Amino acid sequence: MEMNDPLRKEEKKESRPDRDDSGPTSPEPSRPGRDSLLKRMKKVDPKQTENYKQRTGQ
Amino acid sequence: MSVPLLGLETEYGIIREDLENSDPVEESMKLLQACERKSVFCKWAYSQENSHQDLRGFQVRSLAQDEEEDAFCAEDRKRPYSYLDMKCDRVLTNGARFYNDHTHPEYSTPECRSVMSLVAHDVAGERIVAECVAKRNRESKGDGLQVFKNNTDYSGHSYGTHDNYLIPRETPFDDVVSGLVPFLVTRQLYAGAGKVGSENAGTKNFQGLQLAQRSDFIETLLSIETMTERPIINTRDEPHAVRNQYRRLHLILGDANMSAYATALKVGSTSLVLSLIASGAQLPEIELQDPVADVLSVSIGRTVALSRKSGGTITALEIQEAYCEAAENAFAGKDEESDWILAEWLRTLQDLKHRPEKLSDRIDWAIKEKLFSEFMESENIGWQDPWLKSLDLEYHNLDPERGLYRGLQQEGAVHDLLSEHEITQAMEFAPVGTRAQIRGQMIAQNAENIKSIHWTGIEFSDGETLDLTGVIHSEDVENILTAGNS
Repeated sequence: MEMNDPLRKEEKKESRPDRDDSGPTSPEPSRPGRDSLLKRMKKVDPKQTENYKQRTGQ
Repeated sequence: MSVPLLGLETEYGIIREDLENSDPVEESMKLLQACERKSVFCKWAYSQENSHQDLRGFQVRSLAQDEEEDAFCAEDRKRPYSYLDMKCDRVLTNGARFYNDHTHPEYSTPECRSVMSLVAHDVAGERIVAECVAKRNRESKGDGLQVFKNNTDYSGHSYGTHDNYLIPRETPFDDVVSGLVPFLVTRQLYAGAGKVGSENAGTKNFQGLQLAQRSDFIETLLSIETMTERPIINTRDEPHAVRNQYRRLHLILGDANMSAYATALKVGSTSLVLSLIASGAQLPEIELQDPVADVLSVSIGRTVALSRKSGGTITALEIQEAYCEAAENAFAGKDEESDWILAEWLRTLQDLKHRPEKLSDRIDWAIKEKLFSEFMESENIGWQDPWLKSLDLEYHNLDPERGLYRGLQQEGAVHDLLSEHEITQAMEFAPVGTRAQIRGQMIAQNAENIKSIHWTGIEFSDGETLDLTGVIHSEDVENILTAGNS
């Protein structure tokens, strides 16, 4: 695998793991955003999968 | 390294929630028709396809997918559309193919030369599909069309995410199988997208979260089939390259990852193991007694002891540690991307062993486990509650206002591997130094004069052809582009 893709060279994000020895950081468990996600989850129809019928693919 | 090109194919789930009977043929067609990106439309060269040649050296007369296609063709003859109308093939300026396969919208990335480029193109595919969904919903003045990047409908119907690796033909196929199987059985430790419950007859009473979506559907070690008897290693021999030089390893056991980090780890570690095999380096001496059964055992059991042919047992984590160490010994310091893969692979295995909660911002099953556990606690429900399966499905919804993974991204709660710039570039442009770059440029500059198109070449309306079968390395690409400019 060669690093010859300019997309990789153009961006040097500090948060990318290859440039940060401490690795990805975990989210704060008490972060306020989690409440809005719980609200989003509560809106999910508990029976949604009953109507989700697909055909077999590959 | 021995993997000059990589690619991912993803079949998406599709439904109209506002209709009592959602017709996937109709909806998938309309989705593809809604695509406004510059592309070559309905000109895919199906004559160049041959999915009946087996890597074990023989040709099969028919596949289950032929029967399935025939059945649908018979049914779909009643529709006022041709086969090509229903396929709706598009080839985009970024070199990707976007079409309908077995009534699922499928996005096949362009051939990429690096793992990070491939991940960018996989995410670009999500964006392009979502763009079309949004347009369809605007047209219908609603939000009834929903599309999911997952692999199951929780009722026994699975659809695939295939990872593809071009490897040297000179590597004996038996070596590929023996070297790769223990790795593939266990890579779901970090590559699994997670699934609530089980659709396998033998484990249908399982309540909880298993590691992978596809593990319920792996039934054999080797097979050319993709819709029945799904194998650990698919033996379709369709290299889309010079046949006596290359094989295209077409793996169908993997999951559709929402986490770009997990996709990178999946294809990155697999590429390194394939390079190990091709280089003749020392591989871990592991042969499992029953690898097919182990796929599901690991998915459900995670730390279960797997029987070795030589006697004794080994865990999935121990197998991955052995492969990671072998890859580290062979490839450490070779290049920046290999070092990233090796470092993150090792970090992930160490976290799995000592602090699995740390994976809950980057590995899909671990993200789900934390998210759903919090939800169960807040609602005082358990894994057996049908709500959990619906939440599992919604994790994969591409709709930015509904999808749970999208919600986590918006909150900064998951690790974003890619920059916005990398994704938007990949939506428009093919990877530089690949034959996809040539394909993409031809579409951008000369789409109206293209008569037919395929991975391996282009036929123009004036009878000229451009054969890309042997265009594998960046030098090959440069030669063609230079010749075209002179």
